[in-house]
Amino acid sequence: MLSAFVNAFKTPDLRKKILFVLFILVLFRMGSVLPAPGVDVENVRFCLNAATTGENANSVFSLLNVFSGGALLQLTVFALGIMPYITASIILQLLTVVIPRLEALKKEGQSGQTKITQYTRYLTLGLAVLQGAGIVAMARSGALFGNQCARDLLVDTDSVSLFLLIVLVMVAGTAIIMWFGELITDRGVGNGMSLLIFTQIIATFPGTMWLIKEQKGWGTFAIVTGVGLAVVAAVIFIEQAQRRIPVQYARRMVGRKMFGGSSTYIPLKVNQAGVIPVIFASSLMYLPALAAQFNQGEGWSTWVTENFVQGDHPLYMVTFFLLIVFFTYFYVSITFNPKEVADNMKKYGGFIPGIRAGRPTEQYLGYVLSRITFPGSLYLGLVALIPLLAFMLIDANQNFPFGGTTLLIMVGVGLDTVKQIESQLQQRNYEGFLK
Amino acid sequence: MILTFSILLILSSLLLIVLVLMHKGRGGGLSDMFGGGVSSSLGGSSVAERNLDRITVGTAVIWAISVVALGLLFKWS
Repeated sequence: MLSAFVNAFKTPDLRKKILFVLFILVLFRMGSVLPAPGVDVENVRFCLNAATTGENANSVFSLLNVFSGGALLQLTVFALGIMPYITASIILQLLTVVIPRLEALKKEGQSGQTKITQYTRYLTLGLAVLQGAGIVAMARSGALFGNQCARDLLVDTDSVSLFLLIVLVMVAGTAIIMWFGELITDRGVGNGMSLLIFTQIIATFPGTMWLIKEQKGWGTFAIVTGVGLAVVAAVIFIEQAQRRIPVQYARRMVGRKMFGGSSTYIPLKVNQAGVIPVIFASSLMYLPALAAQFNQGEGWSTWVTENFVQGDHPLYMVTFFLLIVFFTYFYVSITFNPKEVADNMKKYGGFIPGIRAGRPTEQYLGYVLSRITFPGSLYLGLVALIPLLAFMLIDANQNFPFGGTTLLIMVGVGLDTVKQIESQLQQRNYEGFLK
Repeated sequence: MILTFSILLILSSLLLIVLVLMHKGRGGGLSDMFGGGVSSSLGGSSVAERNLDRITVGTAVIWAISVVALGLLFKWS
């Protein structure tokens, strides 16, 4: 394991890439603590302390705040983080099913995908303007911390030009984050956007753990750590699990060369959809709470606040769970197309032993996929419920660090990045991290 | 002083947004964000792209400096 690290740094090419990624991440973290101009830093810090250590911590922004690494509530330059990009990707992903033009673009392959990415970037900035304006407006009226803090968060709360300036800076910050992500994907190792999310989640981690120790003492701290490690092991176990469907390729001659004749397999992961269903579901669950926040006092909004904002309500948990199961199937059906795989196999003379090529193969793949996704979706739902259950059992902080979403993202991104480094190492015949 | 840096900040912010949008988007969005396929980087970047990188870095530096300067000025005033 350690020698693999040494090898990774001995290879000049890989060393350059890793150092580049680290450099970008450092810049990113610096931007996440640099307050936007015109924000009253001392008052924000005071209110933040009051809000997070107080009894009724604001839970509406918890997910947003986790994804921005605590930058959101501090009103920093990178306050919006990668959330606009994620939301834009989700919207476009859903729209490809609805709008025929986008679907045609997706089928076009590389060039169509580039175009969709470009649309995502435009939409990201549009959403950044909306979210930035919303957050700064809330900071201006004092509603950012749920009206609990009477101090002014901005230097001048009446000035419209200052308001616009802060929003503009935050939007530019989002653009820079987007560019950072693309730079990492392009010149570093791993996927830029997911590494940035990973960094933000890790960044708040020690602080939240310490908060638990401060509030509950060492006993609870040890329990939380133990449970967390056990869950990490379970997550990795399922994350790596896959069903290998054997594929035999017929030997054939093209010109004077011999092709094929090999036997490989199609890996079908138990959790084919990754962490995306959880993100979809949490974004959806967050909407009614946000709507209720804006329409306080009405009948339906009190009902929503009672049943859907607190994570420990049974109705919330059941809805969350069902949404995750639904989105797992939905996402797998978008990303894995059995017909396409079957057609491709037929084109290159491949077949699954015992099953005829073409339609029977397609049906077989669909059959296996829908059955293997079922435990996958249950697992995703259960992991996402862990923080809610733990919250009830030990009465811990709402921002429980081993939250299902954060845990899945951490493990998923970590595994993915290590795998990519390993594949680069193996190009030079070195032993990798994972034995 | 505050006004100068504000104008500088507004200009560099707008320029930065335009410059970043001018870059060719890499990565296939959300699908390969979490455990997706290994994206292959095809060749190096073109001359235009490299120059664009340089201009973007320059603008970002100006942007960061004006953010910090404005923050300090607001604190002292």
